[in-house]
Amino acid sequence: MPSYIALIYNADVDWSAAEHSETMAEYGEFGRAAAAVIRGGAALYPTSTATTVRVHGGKGGDVVTTDGPYAETKEALTGFYLFECADLDEAVATAARIPGARDGAIEVRPVIPPMQR
Amino acid sequence: MAGSTARGDGLARAALVRLVRDEGRRVLATLVRLTGDLQLAEDAVQDATVRALESWPRDGVPAEPRAWLTLTARRRAIDLIRREGARDGKEAGTVVPPEPSTPEPPEVLRDDLLRLVFTCCHPSLAVETQVALALRTLCGLTTAEVARALLVPEATMNKRLTRAKQKIARAAIPYRVPEDHELPDRLRGVVATVYLLFNEGYAATAGDDPLRPALVDEAVRLTRLLRELMPGEPSVLGLLALELLQDSRRDARYDRDGLPVLLADQDRGRWRHGLVEEGVVLVGEGLRRSPGRPDPYVVQAAIAACHALAPSYPDTDWSAVLSWYDVLLSVQDTAVVRLNRAVAVGEQQGPGAGLAEVEAVTGLEEYALWHAARAELLARLARTDEARAAYAAALALPQNTAQHAHLRERLHALDGISPPGPAPGS
Repeated sequence: MPSYIALIYNADVDWSAAEHSETMAEYGEFGRAAAAVIRGGAALYPTSTATTVRVHGGKGGDVVTTDGPYAETKEALTGFYLFECADLDEAVATAARIPGARDGAIEVRPVIPPMQR
Repeated sequence: MAGSTARGDGLARAALVRLVRDEGRRVLATLVRLTGDLQLAEDAVQDATVRALESWPRDGVPAEPRAWLTLTARRRAIDLIRREGARDGKEAGTVVPPEPSTPEPPEVLRDDLLRLVFTCCHPSLAVETQVALALRTLCGLTTAEVARALLVPEATMNKRLTRAKQKIARAAIPYRVPEDHELPDRLRGVVATVYLLFNEGYAATAGDDPLRPALVDEAVRLTRLLRELMPGEPSVLGLLALELLQDSRRDARYDRDGLPVLLADQDRGRWRHGLVEEGVVLVGEGLRRSPGRPDPYVVQAAIAACHALAPSYPDTDWSAVLSWYDVLLSVQDTAVVRLNRAVAVGEQQGPGAGLAEVEAVTGLEEYALWHAARAELLARLARTDEARAAYAAALALPQNTAQHAHLRERLHALDGISPPGPAPGS
């Protein structure tokens, strides 16, 4: 069965803060409801905790880190799931049930299966 | 069907090409089911159709052309899979099931085609991609033809189609008929895509590549296929009716110089009355099948039928037209529908009433036809300066060249010729 990653783009907030406990409870509910297709996933700390890494000058070159996310956007990557679904329709229907789909957007991308990697 | 009558005869050759193309799309649908791979199926069917066009004129059309094409395409698919497997040095991932001993029943073919329709018109594909895919796989046009018909460079079209097929395969866009609860939504998407295809052709003008106006025929053919696959679906009945009624005016829509002729000025003797009759019957059927909430396509077709049945423009039953517009607004309230209704008010109640209605429609300031409708009504009211300004505003906005030429002519007429007499109904 094909696998999909569902990338959740939302306001760049701290999900671990108490004020978001209600939303996190909703995610918990979603996780139980969609347990049959969820193969993994996590919520992420805000982009202020991100470090972006690049290597300059080819393999073994200088490791250059910058403080912050790869791209500064109004909505940020705030979490992700890995689904295993029958087809894109099931993946889209599942993504539509992620709480973040209501106040943000979910990007659904097929994952290259291991045998073709 | 049998016999080698096709040789050397251009007309028969065209019929043969048509036959191969019509059967080819059915065979393609079957091959997609057998291989689960649109690209592979397409390559295999392409090969089979080339072979058919080579050998049928020489050896005669086989008694069962579709069976011949299916068999040839299936063998080609197996070849391609083997070759792929040998190149990758591994077992081929795709397996073609063994040949069935009896021909497949018609329901199987029907479902094959229906699945392909819903795959090509899947909402996860961009609408312009859906249109291109439909032309390529459901109408059987070559990539070069699709590119020409949609005014896109061939390389760009090739890339777009390849990407689409890749997305279908990699993201696993399903190859199945949607379930009952999702069918209305998905069918709406299919019908919208086919109507877009129709309008691509309908908007084309005489000077364009003949492949563009031919899109009208492709759309009608595709809609007929949808009706065959889903008989009794109101939106399909409505779409077919609307297409036939609009297309019935084909020979009267442009003058010798390729300029559009207004509905009011068209030679109604040149309308294709067979298409009108068929369209009217379909409107009736569509209305009977959607008594609770009329389908927007059926209602649009009903409006087109009012025009098609009127013996002359002044004799149009404008109150019927207006009633249908009111029904349409109850299921599809858009600014363009309001504009069209306002124009009908102008015909029924005079240019003053029409102008008030047109000016009450907001949000169309960037739409050439809103300014054109305003200009026309102002001209009829002999408010020449305002009409001139409105024509100028219309001309400054994007539109096709024929429409542009027509508006320019109206603008020039304002200065030379006095405004026409009292409008009907005033």
